[in-house]
Amino acid sequence: MKAMIRLVGALAPILAFTALAHAETTLEKVSRTGVLTIGTRTGSPPFAFINKQNEWVGFSIDLVEQAIGPVVAQKLGKSIKVEKKESTPQTRIPLLTSNAVDLIAGTMTDTRSRRESVDFSLTFFVTGAQFLVKKGSPIKGIKNIAGKRVAAQQGSTNARIIRETVPKAVLREFPDQPTAFQALAKGQVDAYTNDGIQLAGLKAKAPNPNEWLIVGDFYSYEPYGMAMRKNESDFRHLVNVGLMQAIESGKYFELYEKWFGSKGEVPYPITAENKRFLQMQVVPK
Amino acid sequence: MAYQFDWSVLWTGQSGFWLLQGLFTTLRLSALAWLLAAGLGIVSGALRTVAFKPLAALAALYVESFRNVPLLVWMFFWYFAVPPALPGPVQDWLYGHGIEFLAGMFALGVYHGARFSEIIRGGIQSIPKTQFEAALSTGLTTAQTYRLVILPITLRLIIPPATNESLNLLKNSSVALTISVAELTFQTRQIEAYTAKAFEALTAGTLIYLVLCLTIAAIMARVERRVAIPGMIARVSPAEH
Repeated sequence: MKAMIRLVGALAPILAFTALAHAETTLEKVSRTGVLTIGTRTGSPPFAFINKQNEWVGFSIDLVEQAIGPVVAQKLGKSIKVEKKESTPQTRIPLLTSNAVDLIAGTMTDTRSRRESVDFSLTFFVTGAQFLVKKGSPIKGIKNIAGKRVAAQQGSTNARIIRETVPKAVLREFPDQPTAFQALAKGQVDAYTNDGIQLAGLKAKAPNPNEWLIVGDFYSYEPYGMAMRKNESDFRHLVNVGLMQAIESGKYFELYEKWFGSKGEVPYPITAENKRFLQMQVVPK
Repeated sequence: MAYQFDWSVLWTGQSGFWLLQGLFTTLRLSALAWLLAAGLGIVSGALRTVAFKPLAALAALYVESFRNVPLLVWMFFWYFAVPPALPGPVQDWLYGHGIEFLAGMFALGVYHGARFSEIIRGGIQSIPKTQFEAALSTGLTTAQTYRLVILPITLRLIIPPATNESLNLLKNSSVALTISVAELTFQTRQIEAYTAKAFEALTAGTLIYLVLCLTIAAIMARVERRVAIPGMIARVSPAEH
């Protein structure tokens, strides 16, 4: 019992300290430290990945550095640095709520249940789930996966939909994209499901891109947003203004061309529908 | 704190069922891996102490190669590298019958077998040489000496470190989630994925591991007292916990 009391006594200052740390708003924290810390990915080309030159780059990172960062810096009246940390589907919400990162800028789908824990920016990318299969596979879409072994990323919205709509599919969940792809390449699974754009990125990076096919209609709607701590409307507003200005000025489409254009990392032309959708999210000045 | 705890996510929806499923898988995986580890550990631990050098060297090779490579790497090895090396029909059967679980079981069992082996060797070497000589002089062969005299004593001696290692094995079973085994930690992540409540799910998982480990430790403490050889293992006062 005495040991217990001592333990609690030792923990109390730590708890008190974290409580203090949380009293600060995100903008105050960024202003004090001069650093905006984002949680992003290392293996999700072209949104956020390590390139051949060993640099941590991508579309989501560019949006933060070139569209959102300047708006925040202008508001605070001082220059800020963007710092990157790896975040996975399992760690990103805890990283945010523990103040380790200030903004999730990767490939996070905005969902209603996630909105109970975090706030989202406006949608900066729209995609939907499909399947990656070896050329010649009988799988053509979600209708053919019953009884088949399908890999998905742990904690993703896709895994949830497969489990609920095709319970007969044998779902295998892996913590990251490279492991899941490895399982597909080795034949441990018959298909790998993820958001279409992620599969396109994976296919483009594969040793033999022609061996792989992306099949099926979108069976889900995956709007990507940037997540931040709840109830921080000042910060959220700046993030949204940054994105809106980028869409309005054409900067967004420049960056889109850089990463998804015909010479980009993952060629994926924007549809007229998606372009219109992005523009309609921009509210007047 | 900005984070709002909502513990009800643990018993609403499917969370409770998932935790139970995860617990069951963790127990099954750990129990089977433990049997494998104990078997390999006893055999290789005993072999390392025999006079016939090639056998001792073989056991040493096993121990050093498995305990000096991270468990995560062994998980990937048993899951990605071993199945393609097997004949086609065996592969197909495996893919249809839970290759993930089997790979996880072998990875855990073989890895911890190497570590058990060292515990057994330590136990055997702590027995005075005169015991061997006495056993041999009664007419027992070397194999019989090990089987009937040395190992029964060793296994009683090593209960404390073996308990430690067994608890490590149980906790390390969570590494199997990297190859898609739906054990306890995997299920807590699943709850997080569905409810976006990571802290609650992790806390539940942590408590379950804690209770499991404490239970095993308590049982082993009882076993230790029951099987102690009077006069051989010094007990200053009766154990008190």
